[in-house]
Amino acid sequence: MNLVRRSLAGVALVGASLAATGKPIAFSDGTTVMAEYGAGTMKEAQVFYAPKYFYSVGLGYLELESDIDGRRREITYARANYLAKRWNMESAQANVFAWGGAGQAYSSETNDHAFAWNAGAQVDYETRRIYASLKTDFHGSSDFDHRIDTLQLGIAPYEHDFDTLATWFVVQGRQYTGGIHEGGEWALLLRLFKRGAWIEAGVTDDGKLQAMAMVNF
Amino acid sequence: MKKLILTIVAALVATGASAGTIEMKVYGLVCGFCAQGIEKTLRKNPATVDVLVSLEDKLVVVSTREGQDISDADLTKALTDSGYDVKGITRTARSLDEIRAQLKAGK
Repeated sequence: MNLVRRSLAGVALVGASLAATGKPIAFSDGTTVMAEYGAGTMKEAQVFYAPKYFYSVGLGYLELESDIDGRRREITYARANYLAKRWNMESAQANVFAWGGAGQAYSSETNDHAFAWNAGAQVDYETRRIYASLKTDFHGSSDFDHRIDTLQLGIAPYEHDFDTLATWFVVQGRQYTGGIHEGGEWALLLRLFKRGAWIEAGVTDDGKLQAMAMVNF
Repeated sequence: MKKLILTIVAALVATGASAGTIEMKVYGLVCGFCAQGIEKTLRKNPATVDVLVSLEDKLVVVSTREGQDISDADLTKALTDSGYDVKGITRTARSLDEIRAQLKAGK
């Protein structure tokens, strides 16, 4: 019951703020605004503009709080995303993305700010019924480094179209390094999107809220 | 006078070349975001009146203004620049609204 309540609260929260796609580049001449809340451990917001379909540039903010010892990191960064490869199939699409950037990070271990850099990659495959993605996101500075690896597997109960609501059930596995979270974390998510708006919410195996939202325009 | 005649002839030729509705078979259409980008790009063309995207049929349809057309090269470039692969382009006598109705009835 507690899980249900938390889950509903999460959907309401994300719906109210409506801000995320699984891809760092939406489309040419498109702007993407994303926000993610990761089970109390991670909060991230990003704004990207894509001059072309194969790259985007923008800003992001990542906040991490260890559920092991409470250490905190706040990272503000500029980033460029690049679509390294795309396969367009008759009823499917697969992509390889890579990104990198730099910014400034605050670390509670040193109680100081330092130059920070980031890099990552994502591979994904999707049809209108199944979705799979694997993402790795690294942040480093002179004070710390950590990586967040995320695996998502999704299934849609029906095939959506452009003007209909898409519904997905997603299983997410996530691993944090750098003393942020002990062991792997699993989450069950409900993903809904239509045209340029996307919301996703669910619960982790610890009963915590995992949510994400995005708009493309 | 000669110039005027040439202009009229050119206009008539352009009108004759007008397809009105263009259907494109496109690979890689799997989500609403794909369609959103394609629609946005095609609507920028001054000859475009309306755009229809069907993920189910892997189809992108464009209706053009009276007497205007968009060349295959421009359509292919627009779709390729959006990140998708065009597999076929055909001009049709059906209107975009008729195609929309037929697709809807077929579902």
